[in-house]
Amino acid sequence: MAKALRVKFQPPLALTLLILGFFVFLPMLSAFEYSIRTPLTGGYGWTHYIWAVTEDDFFHYILRSMWLAGVTVLITLFVLVPTLTWLHLSNSKVRGLIDGISLLPLVIPVVAFAVGAQIAFPEFVQNTVLELPFLYFVLALPYAYRSLDIGLNSIPLKTITEAARSAGANWMRTITTVIVPVIRGSVMATIALTFALSLGEYTLTVLLHWDTFPTWVTYVAQDNILGAIAISMMSLIIPFLILTVITLFVPERSTQGRK
Amino acid sequence: MTSQVIEEGAPSRGRAFLASFIKNILPAVPLLLIIGFFFLFPITRMIYVSFLSNDNAFTLENFKTAIQEPYRTGFINSIKIGLFSAAIAAFPGALAAYFIETRGSSKLRRTIAVMSGVLANTGGVPLAFMFYAALGIQGYLTKVLKHLGWDLYSGTFSLGSFIGLLIVYLYFQLPLMVIVFSPAIVSLRREWSEAARNLGASQFNYWIRIGIPLLFPSFIASFLLLFASGFSAYATANALTVGNLPLTPLQIGGLLDGNVSAAQLNLGKALGVVMIVISACAVIPYLAIQRRSAKWQKR
Repeated sequence: MAKALRVKFQPPLALTLLILGFFVFLPMLSAFEYSIRTPLTGGYGWTHYIWAVTEDDFFHYILRSMWLAGVTVLITLFVLVPTLTWLHLSNSKVRGLIDGISLLPLVIPVVAFAVGAQIAFPEFVQNTVLELPFLYFVLALPYAYRSLDIGLNSIPLKTITEAARSAGANWMRTITTVIVPVIRGSVMATIALTFALSLGEYTLTVLLHWDTFPTWVTYVAQDNILGAIAISMMSLIIPFLILTVITLFVPERSTQGRK
Repeated sequence: MTSQVIEEGAPSRGRAFLASFIKNILPAVPLLLIIGFFFLFPITRMIYVSFLSNDNAFTLENFKTAIQEPYRTGFINSIKIGLFSAAIAAFPGALAAYFIETRGSSKLRRTIAVMSGVLANTGGVPLAFMFYAALGIQGYLTKVLKHLGWDLYSGTFSLGSFIGLLIVYLYFQLPLMVIVFSPAIVSLRREWSEAARNLGASQFNYWIRIGIPLLFPSFIASFLLLFASGFSAYATANALTVGNLPLTPLQIGGLLDGNVSAAQLNLGKALGVVMIVISACAVIPYLAIQRRSAKWQKR
């Protein structure tokens, strides 16, 4: 049935995609046109892009944002995967509580969270940039938690764990070599989501006076708005293209999720 | 807890408690510690401090100031931009989600999901600069519109004005609507429309009596989430406005940075608490509706 439908031309769908396409790509293309203008000669060129990537700060801040995002991903996986596995297996009474708490960050506006973080943390926490990955972890928690929760729900967790345990694997081995590979779809989604969120986080970072790639862009904009626009175009278009291409070419897994 | 201990006939209460703690809570401790210290503690502390005067005595003055000018206008503007951007994005987003989910191939659906995810989340500062380039005075889109007879900048328009910001917000609100509303569409079962048709219902009848009533709660829930997202957005507004548009997140940011000084040191905390209350009024019903619909959406 689905296959038959796919071949047929769908006017409402085509119209929807056309309108969405205009909505998404017109501003993007228009901004791109602006970003390759060279005011001096009146023509087009990569001047601003070249300026941006030859700035020392460019790679400095990209690297910094990347490792902070990497640490956030590690915290997320190390804490959430074992805890959620245990919650699913044990039917503990705290599961309902933790389910609820994991959604709470959705309720709190990030600006308000930043106010709290600024007044509450002791000096030794505020003085290290390592506070950021933990705060990013909190911001990504509702999504990461849900994604892993769905993954664990869709597999016969108990059977798999018992099999691994009776074959002699300890808990760590069970989780790393059995459970994680089985729910790799959810794990990959969690990694992508947490990484992207940490990489782009601006509000909390700037209000706590840290410098990362997104806050550096606003700093650049003060002297060189065209440079800032070029950087913004790169940080919007590159992930957009990479992710779209990955989705188009990576084959769909049919095993997970739906029955 | 006590009754359980008695039932199990545990030898001593202390040891039974310890055993039950190890069994029921211990593995969750790392997660609870992180959430407790990095999330619950700052929020609780902010709520507590918002009730303190400069001399650390209990007071409601911070909240009294928070609902007076200029903060009043800030809240009104923030609520307005949340409501308007959600209202404008909700219906087209729902319609787009419907056509994509019901008529699109699985590859198309996945691609749209990923693209929406990127657009809805990477926003912030890059989005602001993108619109500055596209719809600024020198932007190509502005020129095209002018050529077509619509001169954006003939009046008082600027990207930092309410209308300007609203346009930019729609760019992440619409994809967000597609993301949050799609699951509801997916769960509308084909059997239901077929059953209705077999019983003699017209397409119109099916939508009025089955489709819309089923989707309506999810639609409202999505609207509420969009409102919360527009209401609390900070990055885009911060990059585009130059202090000309009072919005609560920007006012809090100003107080936090020390760019703006207030007689009351803890005013920013009170503003934060009011923001949480408003946001909670939207997000908690959203979560409740989601949880309810999840029951029949499960296949």
